[in-house]
Amino acid sequence: MTILTGKAEARRRLQPDRLGVLRKIWEHRADYAYVLPAIAVMLIVIAYPIYYTIELSFFNTPPGLQLRDKIFVGIDNYTAILTSPVFWKVTSNTLIWTLGSTLISFVLGFACALALHRDFVGRGILRAILIIPWVISAVAASYIWKWIYHSDFGIIGAVLVGLGLTDRPPNFIDSVSTVLPSLIVVNIWREFPFAMIMMMAGLQTVPDQLLRAAKVDGANAWQRFWHVTFPHLRNVSTVTILLLAVANFNSFIIPWIMTGGGPSNASHIWITHIYELAFGRQRWGVASAYSVLLFLILMSLGYFYVRALSGNEQRGGGE
Amino acid sequence: MTRISLGRAVLRGTVSTALMVSLMSVPALGAPVDLSKWSPEYVRSIAGTQDFDTAGDCAKVTPLDYKGRLTFWYQGVFEGDPDLLRQYYKDFFETFRKTYPNIQLEEQALTYNDLLDKFRTALLGNAAPMAVRLQILGGTEFASKGYLQPLKPEDVGYSTEDFWPGAMKAVTWDGVTYGIPTNNETMAFIWNADVFKRAGLDPDKAPATWDDVVKYSKQIHDKLGIAGYGLVARKNAGNTPYRFMPQLWAYGGGVFDEATASPTYKQVELNSAQSKAALQASYDMYVRDKSVPVSALTNQQADNQPLFLAGQLGMMISHPSDYNVMLDLQKKTTGSDKEKAQTVIDNMRYGLIPTGPDGKRAVVFGGSNIHILKPEYVEGGKVDEPAAKAIICMWTSPEWSLKMAYAGSNPGNLNGFKTKWMKERLDNIKFLDVTTSMLPYGIPFPALPQSPEIMNIIVPDMLQNALTGAMSVDQAADDAAKKVKALMDGGL
Repeated sequence: MTILTGKAEARRRLQPDRLGVLRKIWEHRADYAYVLPAIAVMLIVIAYPIYYTIELSFFNTPPGLQLRDKIFVGIDNYTAILTSPVFWKVTSNTLIWTLGSTLISFVLGFACALALHRDFVGRGILRAILIIPWVISAVAASYIWKWIYHSDFGIIGAVLVGLGLTDRPPNFIDSVSTVLPSLIVVNIWREFPFAMIMMMAGLQTVPDQLLRAAKVDGANAWQRFWHVTFPHLRNVSTVTILLLAVANFNSFIIPWIMTGGGPSNASHIWITHIYELAFGRQRWGVASAYSVLLFLILMSLGYFYVRALSGNEQRGGGE
Repeated sequence: MTRISLGRAVLRGTVSTALMVSLMSVPALGAPVDLSKWSPEYVRSIAGTQDFDTAGDCAKVTPLDYKGRLTFWYQGVFEGDPDLLRQYYKDFFETFRKTYPNIQLEEQALTYNDLLDKFRTALLGNAAPMAVRLQILGGTEFASKGYLQPLKPEDVGYSTEDFWPGAMKAVTWDGVTYGIPTNNETMAFIWNADVFKRAGLDPDKAPATWDDVVKYSKQIHDKLGIAGYGLVARKNAGNTPYRFMPQLWAYGGGVFDEATASPTYKQVELNSAQSKAALQASYDMYVRDKSVPVSALTNQQADNQPLFLAGQLGMMISHPSDYNVMLDLQKKTTGSDKEKAQTVIDNMRYGLIPTGPDGKRAVVFGGSNIHILKPEYVEGGKVDEPAAKAIICMWTSPEWSLKMAYAGSNPGNLNGFKTKWMKERLDNIKFLDVTTSMLPYGIPFPALPQSPEIMNIIVPDMLQNALTGAMSVDQAADDAAKKVKALMDGGL
């Protein structure tokens, strides 16, 4: 009798109506069957690499050994990273790169969006021209700018020398003090059109009647912008800034092609440093530890991005 | 013409003596080409003396009607190579397809700087090609990790003695041979005679020592306002160690003891007084005298070429192919630029790379090797060995190892020097004698799995740290030595 009671109890426990989440899954089992292949692919191409990177971050991978012969070192890779002066240099470069590129791109893009929101002759052509940097491939842009900056052949150096402002062409990307700002300029040039497009789209949603009402109430142009337009664009601004920040934090092409992280690590950001550690130096363990840290940082940014998006949805995309 | 004769006269004495001394100990005296007699004159005397039937020889390794499939990656031509080389690469693959019509060949060319990274990545995913032609620096790394199959010249119908002993060292790990040299190179010192003349230097005389290079570079810059010496210090680019190591070795320095007759690679020498003196010379040119291109830290040799052609650079280290590159570049110029470029070409001079203070002369013994992968690391898990051996036999044949190195370096297979194409090449490629004369001074990179990181990352880092002022010369050298030691100790 006891056994039978136990079986009955077990059956009772497995009843879908008693199982919360499992019940929901059970009830929607047909829906889940549809997404199962996608989930399987996601597990293979996303979850497993993440797991493997985390695993590798606890191993040493000396250049003379195959990856499968890796040596377990516990948290040594993390300790090595955090005690290395290169880590702090690369982190500070990454912050300057990300913040500088993101904020200036956003402000410039926003300013252009405001200017192009007005109706004037040639607005369409100007819009098209301003979008060009964004549609040019990052690789091509990097090579173009490398030549523009080049101290021996570059146009900037030639103009400065030609005008007699300097007797030797400046070494924009060969100097530790100017390389990062020079790369940020290129990045901004490429990215501000994205911010511009986003903000132009946002500006289309600002209700005219509000602006007209503010004008009737005596608000000047600045007051109308600050008290009506800007608050209305808060959400689109947040999303734009977050997207730019994530893209910049993870941006590889421009710094890698133009300088390879040099000179003397002055333009290495996290992602280029990770690439060099892994593919140039085969320090898969240390590179993985860096990647895990990078992953955590980007997940945090992603969290804010999702929150900003859900805020948008709750407000119906506008106020 | 007078200048070349003068160059030959100088070479005749120095080269013959140096070659005799340096190669007498090499166990290759019974080789098909007698290395102990090696000199530009000797090369001329053997050129065109023997005919080779490439298809016939390779048919003995892999029958010409063999049916198979081959995936093959190779370090191909890049922007700094002459058009002549491009044509020979094209010809090679066309000929291979005609010779072995039933082998389905899927080849992929990669640039010098991309090949190692891409190949490593492919190996990690067991997605490598069946055969690969790698730069000389890479072979040991992959052999030591067990990715490569044992492969020696005898496996494709040749003899080990048909190849440079130094090159064979670079494909040997733990006593086993894992590849065959396709080409071997030593570079030369190139200068613009007109620039020298205008700067008050002897237009027909290369700087004798590296201290002279520093002095000449400053003089050229001070008098003419152009860059004196074409310093290259880009990171993760093969050009940098190929230009800095000859300087380091000439001063008596080294990463280890690789410049000695029997290197042990035990003691790190990057922070020795001699190594520091070499680094100081680069510092003096870049920082103190500002006599080298400002862009040296991001430049590759390909950036120095147009600078030289434009008459904006006095001296550089490079291949004989640079002469052909200049001709190619000149063809693309128009108007007065064309004339200006011709003047530079007419004033192009080649000489031996300068010595250090103690008369030591050195150059990197470079080149490439060809390898077969183990099946477990190859995409699909299978290696078509006969197909791989067919392409390797053809590439390392006297004919093609010469043609594929036509303007740039020397054939890996020494019998290439005996072919009619070598004779033709000696007549067509100017300054070939000079780079051939540098061969006895060639020092291979240490045959260690850590060499790519040392040469492509640590050494350029050391240069950049010193040249940017991020560290003093002493600190940069000490830092680099520390990194090499940590690397050799298997540190993180």
